[in-house]
Amino acid sequence: MIQALLSGILLGGIYGLFAVGFSLVFGVMRIVNFAHGELVMLAMYSGLTVYDLTGIDPLLSLPLTCLLIAGLGVLLYLGAFRHFVGRASMQQLLVAIAIAMILQVGAQIVFGPDTHGMAQSWGSQYLLFGTNFFSYAQVAAFFIALLCVTAVELILRKTRWGQDIRAVADDAEAAELVGLDTHRINTGAFALSCAIAAVAGSVLITYYPVNPGTGFALMPITLIATVVGGLGSVAGAFLGGIACGVISQVAGALAGPALQEVPLYVLLLLFLAFRPQGLFGRRVAF
Amino acid sequence: MSSGNDEAVPAPHATRPSRPQTVDLTRLIVGGVLVAATASLPFWPGVNSYFVALAVRALIFIALGQAWNVIAGIGGQLSLGNGVFFGIGAYGTAMLFTRVGITPWIGALLSVGLAGLAAIVMGAATLRFRGVYFALATVVISLGFERLTRHFVDFTGGDAGFSEPFLGTSPWAMQSRGPTPFLILSLGVVVGFYLLTRVLLVSSFGLQLQPVRDEEAAAASGVNVFHIKIMGLLLSAVMTALVGAIYVQFYLVIDPTAAFGLMQEIQIQLPALIGGLGTAGGPVIGGAFMVLVSEATNWLASGMSVHGLDVLAFGVLLLVVVLRAPHGVLGAFMRPPGAGSRR
Repeated sequence: MIQALLSGILLGGIYGLFAVGFSLVFGVMRIVNFAHGELVMLAMYSGLTVYDLTGIDPLLSLPLTCLLIAGLGVLLYLGAFRHFVGRASMQQLLVAIAIAMILQVGAQIVFGPDTHGMAQSWGSQYLLFGTNFFSYAQVAAFFIALLCVTAVELILRKTRWGQDIRAVADDAEAAELVGLDTHRINTGAFALSCAIAAVAGSVLITYYPVNPGTGFALMPITLIATVVGGLGSVAGAFLGGIACGVISQVAGALAGPALQEVPLYVLLLLFLAFRPQGLFGRRVAF
Repeated sequence: MSSGNDEAVPAPHATRPSRPQTVDLTRLIVGGVLVAATASLPFWPGVNSYFVALAVRALIFIALGQAWNVIAGIGGQLSLGNGVFFGIGAYGTAMLFTRVGITPWIGALLSVGLAGLAAIVMGAATLRFRGVYFALATVVISLGFERLTRHFVDFTGGDAGFSEPFLGTSPWAMQSRGPTPFLILSLGVVVGFYLLTRVLLVSSFGLQLQPVRDEEAAAASGVNVFHIKIMGLLLSAVMTALVGAIYVQFYLVIDPTAAFGLMQEIQIQLPALIGGLGTAGGPVIGGAFMVLVSEATNWLASGMSVHGLDVLAFGVLLLVVVLRAPHGVLGAFMRPPGAGSRR
């Protein structure tokens, strides 16, 4: 049980990282990016490909992956999501789903449908705590996730750019009135969200194999972590991710692996019904 | 949920009541020819049972799109949970037949009833959520069903799915060696759903369901929004479950991914979206078009040994339709801007 609890926290750190990237885009421009998981999946492939070709560890090729995924994100934003800023409409959701389908099949055509992982990794060694054990990669992933979320929170709080992003998130019209270029700020925030996805993917590939469906399969948990933590709240989304990790691992240990996510689905419905703003979010209308 | 303006389906004619339509001779002739051509398909020269089976697949696909169109196209609620009803129809019919020995004709009715019940419960729980929240709630309910069917292996067959024994051609078992009876059956369902949608678009229930897309306007005009939405979901569910029953009798197997999977939820939407959301003809044209595209890309792909080209084509189609032709193929060609009546 303690094993399940601790590995839930470690896994939850990664879920939290997904949710933070996803929540940022939602909070700033009210866009539900259903293709966020695909960005993580592509980052995993990016790290793996560099490793296979040159032997460079995915964590060292992280800057390259960030650049690639953020670039892709800017293209997606300018090509599609730009039209839907400010209203999470049915069409917006459908466009995101279409993009997810295209990226997923694109990955399948380029990399093949099979699951690939890193053949040999420093992360596959185990760390023992009494009777509990964790791989180095899991522990490292958690702390990198924590570091990344802290960095994002600092960027949003302390830098000029971050303050601009928060201003747009608060009230896009008012931000525009005081002379902020919301279009440029949105593009930047979207790229930041993609970079966070790239960090998540690069960390995950060190211990978790990837196939074209990996990202899509992670979307439900990302959505739930975001709603539970509070739409648009960075720290909330991270804590929501940890909560989801713990709940799913404990449920998996108690009721079997197929059911590990079911309590999360129930949790989402309860939150939607009774506390749609989540634990730490503000009430948002859309 | 706090108030807010949720941008639903673009519906230039949403608030304009459709006029009762006079019998349109052109439409009657085109429809009649299409139905006759499809029904006589097995007797055409050069048509083998592969093509007939393909036509059945297309018709099943179209019918699912027609059912989804009722809640999403007419009611404006983005349901990502219609797979729940499809799965109940399919699993229910197959299990009642295999386990209890109830003929699928009765089993289908019982399963449809069960799906209706599920729709009322699900609608009561989720239809108060607006816009994207409703979509999220329905998608996790569907995924929950998927996990439960995977877990209870003894009851549902688990990952491998639940299959029916094949008894040869038998009306009692609602099974057939050749696909022709299913062609007639599914064609009947598609025609029935088409007529139902046409009636719905001009009936008072349909006229109440349409402005539900714009909740404030509907509430202001005295429509009980929540009640109407539940009725819309119920109708959509009953239609979907009926198709599920036919599906399982035709393919004799149903598995969790085919019933409740996320990709299935998305594919159910495509016929209506591509053909024309909220119209009677849209899902028919969109569904037929998609099966053609899927066959063409599979044929292409078999030459190049890549898989998933059809999904790629659907993704691109969906993207283009939503961004460039929000009224679908039908809308783009048949409804000039500012023209009068709803197709």
